[in-house]
Amino acid sequence: MRDFYAYKYSTSHLFFPKIIITVLIFLGLCIILPKLIKAIKNKQPLFPKDKKFFIENYDKVKLFGTLILLVLYFLALEWIGFVPASLIFIFLFNVLYCGTKPQSLLVSGSITVVSVILTWLVFGVIFNITLP
Amino acid sequence: MLEVLGEILTLSRMLMALLGVTVGIVFGAIPGMTATMAVAVFLPLTYAYDLMTSLFLLLGLYVGGISGGLVPAILINIPGTPASITTCFDGYPMAQRGEGARALRIGITASLFGGIFSLLCLALLTPPLANLAIKFSAVEKFLVILFAMTIIAALSKGKMLVGIFMGFSGVLFAMMGTFNDNNKLRLVPEMLSKPLIYGFALLPVLIGLFALGQMFEEAEKGMKKDTSNGDLLKKNAAKFSIKDFKGQFINIIRSSALGTFMGILPGVGGSAASLIGYSQAKTFSKHPEEFGKGSIEGVVASESANNGLTGGALIPLLSMGIPGDSTTAVLIGAFALQGMQIGPLFIRNNPNLWYSILIGLALCNILMFVIMFFPIKYIARIINIPKQRLYPVILLMCVVGAYACNYGVMFDIWSLIIFGVLGYLCIKLKLPATPFLIGFILGGDLEKYFVDALKGSNGNLSIFFTRGPIAWALWLLILVSIAFAVVSEIRDKKKANMAAA
Repeated sequence: MRDFYAYKYSTSHLFFPKIIITVLIFLGLCIILPKLIKAIKNKQPLFPKDKKFFIENYDKVKLFGTLILLVLYFLALEWIGFVPASLIFIFLFNVLYCGTKPQSLLVSGSITVVSVILTWLVFGVIFNITLP
Repeated sequence: MLEVLGEILTLSRMLMALLGVTVGIVFGAIPGMTATMAVAVFLPLTYAYDLMTSLFLLLGLYVGGISGGLVPAILINIPGTPASITTCFDGYPMAQRGEGARALRIGITASLFGGIFSLLCLALLTPPLANLAIKFSAVEKFLVILFAMTIIAALSKGKMLVGIFMGFSGVLFAMMGTFNDNNKLRLVPEMLSKPLIYGFALLPVLIGLFALGQMFEEAEKGMKKDTSNGDLLKKNAAKFSIKDFKGQFINIIRSSALGTFMGILPGVGGSAASLIGYSQAKTFSKHPEEFGKGSIEGVVASESANNGLTGGALIPLLSMGIPGDSTTAVLIGAFALQGMQIGPLFIRNNPNLWYSILIGLALCNILMFVIMFFPIKYIARIINIPKQRLYPVILLMCVVGAYACNYGVMFDIWSLIIFGVLGYLCIKLKLPATPFLIGFILGGDLEKYFVDALKGSNGNLSIFFTRGPIAWALWLLILVSIAFAVVSEIRDKKKANMAAA
């Protein structure tokens, strides 16, 4: 036990993490155990089924669409670069959030072009900040 | 003094402050967007400027973001930022009576008072605190951070253990990567050893936690507009006059002071500040029965307390390098980007920067007042800006910010998703994200000071108890905060049981 927590130069990179993980396990037990005991006492399941993670009638399309579009967007950044990828995906995000009515599409398009070009000009060209 | 003022207050900096305050108000006034998010999203802009100019922008975003939250709180009963929760209680009933403009102006004026009060506290308290902190050795520095972590726990109401658990999880995340003492990699899976050689960068972590996490939550809700019922400003009801503040002097000072104090405590945000300001105002009020029905006192207390937070949260940051709330934690990112370490020596080594922070904060408070007080009808329209159109643009800024922080590492963009999902989970599971961020920021220092202290004592742990009076005082504070946490936890449980029975 003493050896496990002893400070040695060669393993000093693991010295503090070991302490923190011990603290975390201890705290985690302090949080879980009382709940577990209560659940066993009252013979209820630990995670009540009526408690739902998502809100009622949550927007599946927008939530998972956001996640999927994000992953695709970041992949595209690697493949085709900042300006083309952003032009495509910022437009798609707009469509995802605002729908496909013709007028809405027009607004989506103009917001995309203006914001991407402006960001590119301001950050990439004027300020010379590295863009993907 | 005037020369320094002229040197600091250049036109471009004033314009940056104006831009910051304006954008901040918009972020604050749109429910689902916060001051923290505004500062996080605009961090990349600061690459292009010197630190002083950047600070004017960021302080503007901070002050504007906290203040803007009162607009929807009063007009549509939805707080624009968590800091304005209590403004709803009395602001909205006033608006329903047709006194929306009056309530807004009272709130804005109270905000100005709170901001200026906390600025004075900042100016007066920070230098002596820093002078005290300069004397700290590794032992005291370690204990100060430990104290910060226990305070977080003590004030996460009813979630003491969860709060401190999140704080230490942040510390664990900070540990990923190479340890400087012996150059060995730790806590990193084999396949990620290359991108994580220096661990996660601060910027993607905080942008992910506070901007993308929020975006996921809004997407889950369907990005719907928060509807307002009719125009609550048009009716010719009672108008604002300075007489509304008659008899509010003690209230405004007490609320500002409470807000500032809550700001000083690390990890405590604006919602706690306004809640305590509001509840104390109710306790001491001559007409507590009017609270919740459109009492001027309530609006004043809530708004002066949450703006009192701004200066207060900067006190531990600029004296010891410990952020007072989530937004100041993001500000650390700005200093880090410019290669500047914040700690006890900050003021001594950078007097000009210190003055420019004070001047910038004063300017931003005044600008906030001018921008919001007079064109109140136009300000009220901000809540109609569709956030579903803003989020894609914000995402664009997030990508630029995350990518640029290490001059182009694609992995930093992927960390955005990791911490975005984590931030979303925090919101859904009601886990406090701010302690995590503060633990992440302070984790490296916590380890360094702990190891340094042990090296100095040849591995003898008793060094933490025998260093002298300052260390003892810190131990006492730590014990008091833990005791406070346990006692209030038990009391809350009893109350809950009573209510249930």
